[in-house]
Amino acid sequence: MQALRAVVEPGHFQITQVATLGLLPTTIETVEVILHWGVPHEGVVTTTHWGPGGGSWSHAKCSGVNLSESEEQSLNMKLTGIRIYSLHTNAIAAPVGLSPNPELREDGGAFAGVLDQLRDREPERFEALNEELGRWLPEFDRILFDTPSSGHRAFLLRTRKGRHALPATDLSQGTLLALTMLTLAYLPDPPPIVCLEEPDRGIHPRLLRHVQDALYRLSYPESVGEVRQPVQVLATTHSPYFLDLFRDHPEEIVIAHKVGQEARFERLSDKPAIAEMLGEAPLGEIWYSGILGGVPVES
Amino acid sequence: MKVAVLSESPEDEAAIHILIAGLLGKQTQPIEPSRQLRTRGWPAVLQVIPAELKQLHYLTDTHAFAVVVDADNSPLHQAAHEAPGGAVAKCRLCQLRRVVAQTQQQLRPVSGRVPVQVAMGTAVPSIEAWYRCGLEPYINEITCLQNPQIGSDFHTRNQMKRYVYDTERPSFPLETQRAVEAAQRLVQSLSILESRFPIGFGALARDVRSWTLG
Repeated sequence: MQALRAVVEPGHFQITQVATLGLLPTTIETVEVILHWGVPHEGVVTTTHWGPGGGSWSHAKCSGVNLSESEEQSLNMKLTGIRIYSLHTNAIAAPVGLSPNPELREDGGAFAGVLDQLRDREPERFEALNEELGRWLPEFDRILFDTPSSGHRAFLLRTRKGRHALPATDLSQGTLLALTMLTLAYLPDPPPIVCLEEPDRGIHPRLLRHVQDALYRLSYPESVGEVRQPVQVLATTHSPYFLDLFRDHPEEIVIAHKVGQEARFERLSDKPAIAEMLGEAPLGEIWYSGILGGVPVES
Repeated sequence: MKVAVLSESPEDEAAIHILIAGLLGKQTQPIEPSRQLRTRGWPAVLQVIPAELKQLHYLTDTHAFAVVVDADNSPLHQAAHEAPGGAVAKCRLCQLRRVVAQTQQQLRPVSGRVPVQVAMGTAVPSIEAWYRCGLEPYINEITCLQNPQIGSDFHTRNQMKRYVYDTERPSFPLETQRAVEAAQRLVQSLSILESRFPIGFGALARDVRSWTLG
């Protein structure tokens, strides 16, 4: 995730603070972060030159053929549209100053504004979101709004039983995180690339199936009747429970191995004889055992 | 009649309740709340059966309990398995029966409590095959017997999902909806399901029909 951020925002990190590969700060000149694109930009490579003075990216085709201006624009739009969400419940629950076109911040901030806009501009989607909320968290039936001070918006959840409105600040962390991910999946124009740090965090294991549904809703919009571009979703997890849900799609699992000071990534479906290795066992159990790698190195 | 169902997912359990009602020719009362397995799949079902059966016996007035699992690429149940000592270790129906029998032997009598009646079946290669029964003539147990790789192959399993759900990644509501729709269609012609899946569904049907109605 952070490597992706280094591509998108080369100025985000001070390279001398994060480059620790045995290099002395004085010896660091430039680090290259290389991104290989898939369909529909297969064969295109984006290279970010990242150094103490910031950085920049450039695109090139492996074939040597020049990119058209429109393709370059399309790639730039996708790169600038990448959002790396590391959600914080305080940010999600906080009231937000009203502004036109609020966008969900990477920590979950501005969430009340995003919900408010969805209700006003896409009422059908907002209703569908409420319905889905009722499936995820049956104790609630509706998202409500409040104006805690002039020009500010906050949200509340109404309990199904008793119709009590609970302010966002009183909701559990799991509820806030689940609602944010669910809402992201119901936005009419989600970011083209969504990265989620630990989407299972704070979520009851029984709700993980719903979280998976939300991620698939982003990635496979046609399967739920949505007419929009699919979203590339990257999510990190250390949850065997969450991993279990992807057993039938080993091509969607990438295992990160720490080898010395390097990180190596391996797609599960690229492992030879993976189906035989898994047998009848849950994927999460096999991963936890260490057979597939991607576990902490023991001293 | 109060019936509990254990399968690999709550979506499938909704469909199995409908099939059981069709086999019995009367509405049943599903036991709530339904439990969920931590992981989908056969090993989890097998692990949960003893606790589930004990809970039903000691703490509820449930009349009957049905268990259905996917056969995947396990050996298909054969008539020879029914003979004394003929059970096959890797046959899932044999394993289900062994675990249920062992658990039933451990149950203490409860005053006024008639033992829970049990039915077991295997869906070959997976329950999605039942859902497509009658729509594709080549989906049946014989085809699976002749092509044992069907159950183990990721591609084929996902292909089956695509047939049923129009996507390889169905959401929970979609899976439930399609499973229930399929079951509602199948109960109109259970004989077809029984003739195409005589081993796995046939076993379930025979067990269910043997139940004494509560």
